[in-house]
Amino acid sequence: MSTIRQIAKEVPRVPRIAVGILVAILLFTMFMVGFDQGHLFSIVQGQPAFDNMWMHEFYHDMRHASGFPCH
Amino acid sequence: MNSINLLAVTIFSGAIAGTILAIINLGLVEPYIDSAIALETQRKISSGENVDMAELVHYRIWQKGGAIAAGAVYGISLGALFGIVFAYGRKALPGDSNKQKALFLAGILWFVLYLMVAIKYPANPPAVGDPETIYYRQSLYVGYLAISGFTALGLALAWKRVQLGSKKILFPLIYAAIMIVAYVALPPNPDKIGISMDLIHTFRVVTALTIGLFWGILGIVFGSLWDRFISREEQKYATV
Repeated sequence: MSTIRQIAKEVPRVPRIAVGILVAILLFTMFMVGFDQGHLFSIVQGQPAFDNMWMHEFYHDMRHASGFPCH
Repeated sequence: MNSINLLAVTIFSGAIAGTILAIINLGLVEPYIDSAIALETQRKISSGENVDMAELVHYRIWQKGGAIAAGAVYGISLGALFGIVFAYGRKALPGDSNKQKALFLAGILWFVLYLMVAIKYPANPPAVGDPETIYYRQSLYVGYLAISGFTALGLALAWKRVQLGSKKILFPLIYAAIMIVAYVALPPNPDKIGISMDLIHTFRVVTALTIGLFWGILGIVFGSLWDRFISREEQKYATV
């Protein structure tokens, strides 16, 4: 008589929640470091944020050093 | 694989590599940025433009003060991308250890996301970019970066699925062909360069090296932390 043996093997999967959080971190921080021209602060500060560009100035030297377009 | 471990390894290794990059930049890249700003200021004064030196000094303090934090955030950002790609692609990467695999992936990402893009739209020091063209230049940069990144990703996914045997040499050739077409098709940086080309060339070479160094450090730190926290966790499950 033949018997069937089932072996359950757990394969480590990449957790989707962690991937979702990492994608959000990637997009937000990349925008902040490389592309913001006052947009983020304008949410609370309005139009003056585009003149002050605090985020742009804060990341200014890193933008140049990492190859992002800058003024 | 535990979510917390993956997030911790990814964010921590990115922050370490980014902070080291920022410290290296303070010594190697900052002198060129200072020289370029001095030339830009001199040019503005010569052309009769009113330069508020107090405001300039204030901005430079803010810009230099932010350098370390900016490096850490930059590292976390690229570390997040690195973590996702490594988690999904680890088994397909060449190398006997996770450190070797991570270092290999870091080299690929430096090539695809930095070097290829820099060939078309190279890094420039201050005094080169025109504020009026910033959004246009950003869209060109993102477009070319996306073409390089998504082409490499598509080919990497196809690599395992397509049975071409020795003809797999076609994959890098396809990548090269697409990037050549993109290089020719996309317009150049519209800004005119009004400062010394020696300064610009040196700046580009130095920044390409420091960014390469950043990717190398990210790979080594990430591979080490993966071994320490994620491989052990997987081994623990395997032996239960």
